[in-house]
Amino acid sequence: MNNSTSLITIFISMVIINNLILTKFLGLCPFFGVSKKLSNALSMGAAVTLVMVIASLATSIIYNYILIPYKVEFMNIIIYILVIASLVQIVELTIKRTNLILYNALGIYLPLITTNCAVLGITLINANNNFSVLQSVISGLGGGLGFTLMLLIMSGIRERLELADAPSSMRGLPAAFIVAALLALAFMGFSGLL
Amino acid sequence: MEIEKVKPIKKFWQEFKKGFVITNPVFVLVLGLCPTLAVTSSIDNALGMGIGVIFVLLGSNIIISLIRRFTPPIVRIPVFIVVIASFVTILSLVFEAFIPPLYEALGIYLALIVVNCIILGRAEAFASKNTVFYSIADALGIGMGFTLSLFIVSFLREILGTGKLTVFGLNLFSIPVLSQLPLSFFIMPPGAFLVLGLLLALFRWLGVLKNE
Amino acid sequence: MLKVNNKNNKKFNIDKLLKGKAYPLIFLSLIVLVSVVLLMYVNSITKAKIAAEKETQIIEQLKLIFPEMKDYKYNKDEYYEVYSSEDLIGYAFTAIGKGYGGDINILIGINNNFLIESINIISNTETPGLGTKITENFFTDQFKGLALEDVNLTKNGGKVDAITGATISSKAVVDAVREELIKKIELIKNKSN
Repeated sequence: MNNSTSLITIFISMVIINNLILTKFLGLCPFFGVSKKLSNALSMGAAVTLVMVIASLATSIIYNYILIPYKVEFMNIIIYILVIASLVQIVELTIKRTNLILYNALGIYLPLITTNCAVLGITLINANNNFSVLQSVISGLGGGLGFTLMLLIMSGIRERLELADAPSSMRGLPAAFIVAALLALAFMGFSGLL
Repeated sequence: MEIEKVKPIKKFWQEFKKGFVITNPVFVLVLGLCPTLAVTSSIDNALGMGIGVIFVLLGSNIIISLIRRFTPPIVRIPVFIVVIASFVTILSLVFEAFIPPLYEALGIYLALIVVNCIILGRAEAFASKNTVFYSIADALGIGMGFTLSLFIVSFLREILGTGKLTVFGLNLFSIPVLSQLPLSFFIMPPGAFLVLGLLLALFRWLGVLKNE
Repeated sequence: MLKVNNKNNKKFNIDKLLKGKAYPLIFLSLIVLVSVVLLMYVNSITKAKIAAEKETQIIEQLKLIFPEMKDYKYNKDEYYEVYSSEDLIGYAFTAIGKGYGGDINILIGINNNFLIESINIISNTETPGLGTKITENFFTDQFKGLALEDVNLTKNGGKVDAITGATISSKAVVDAVREELIKKIELIKNKSN
């Protein structure tokens, strides 16, 4: 039904308007957990973006050319999670073999991605919107970049937040949630953009 | 004989109880955040999600505990994921067939129960090491503790965000001024972050949560 | 003595099997197989129920627009032909509006003269209390009886008043309805010629 949605619309919508973290609450564990240092945030974001693009490509091919023709869409949950888990392994091995510098930067984050709900989330969003293969890849790229953007913003804020003089019960996680609330509120301003 | 009979039941009760306060998945372990924020804009959705999680947790805990002796450690995680994903698929088919409005409202978050850290966490930390009997207690306790947390968050958000309290289509009460001019901020995404952040701070302040 | 020996033997075999190199893979495949069979079975039970549920939903939605509807036919070109006992009384189709928060699904009904019978907002993710007013009658009733050229906001020369504080949602509905009307009316006209 949504075949007409243009690629740019999907991309912008995924990066800022329907940001996975701020509006869909996906991938919150790394958002609150990893994002205390800027460099870590960048590596994590890059790893997630890479996996999201590949996973979107693989799952949309499976969805459009296997699940729909054979009317077994109900199997998508189990197939998607297995595909994502194997993809993460393959990506990890490939990077390890080909680029050791990249592996040292991204390596430790890759295993965490299997249970990162943002990756499964984006593939399910693609399926729900009946996106074509190309649309899915763009949506995966946008989702990944939006995720990275939020991780970067959050890590910058949290580096300063550590020094803030907050009541002890507000320190750490609760304060990070309040920051996320303000960020989400600010990004709602983009809603009318498209 | 008597003692032996009492002991398991007492332990069952302990495993059941711990999920509510000591290891409450949301407020203490801070797990399963995605559904806690996403589906708590109304009490109905929160309870629906809670029931779903209890079902999946119970099913996966039972099966994983039953097959724990035959499960090779190397493929342990994939096996857990397949078992959990099967229960989630069953749940989603049943919801779609019998409670379509709830199915529509929960959307992708129903399928995302698969990657809810609570369920995989319980499989790995408890069910793969304990008998079926205690695994059931663990699943029920953690599941209900999770549902309780969802209920608290959704209760606050629905009252502040709509000025009314509606459970399963039944309007329990409405607050005079608030229901005409609701603070709809609270049922929007930013409100979710704010409410959960304040709740976490509150539980810390009360001493339930230890400071980092 | 013999029994004990037997038991030991058996246990040894299971251990050997559990430690075999292929065993993990066999076990995982077995689990996947069992789960696929189980899911196929559950699906076969719920399939009919899900289809029936969708059917009743469509009928309910169509009856809101055409109360005298008795039967409908779904056309390949993605519109419904609505019949009272015998006669074709109109057409219905869905449109998707790009709202403030996401997609707005709209069901549009038109009569044989291509005037809007009524529209119905099936689902939306607009701001509660503001954008969600597009689902209320005072807004959707404005569309009743409108011809294609009138489907626009008043400020753009049409006959639909935007909701105060929810201009984007209102515009999304109006634009989606108009664009879908243009597409489907042409389709229907071509078909009847």
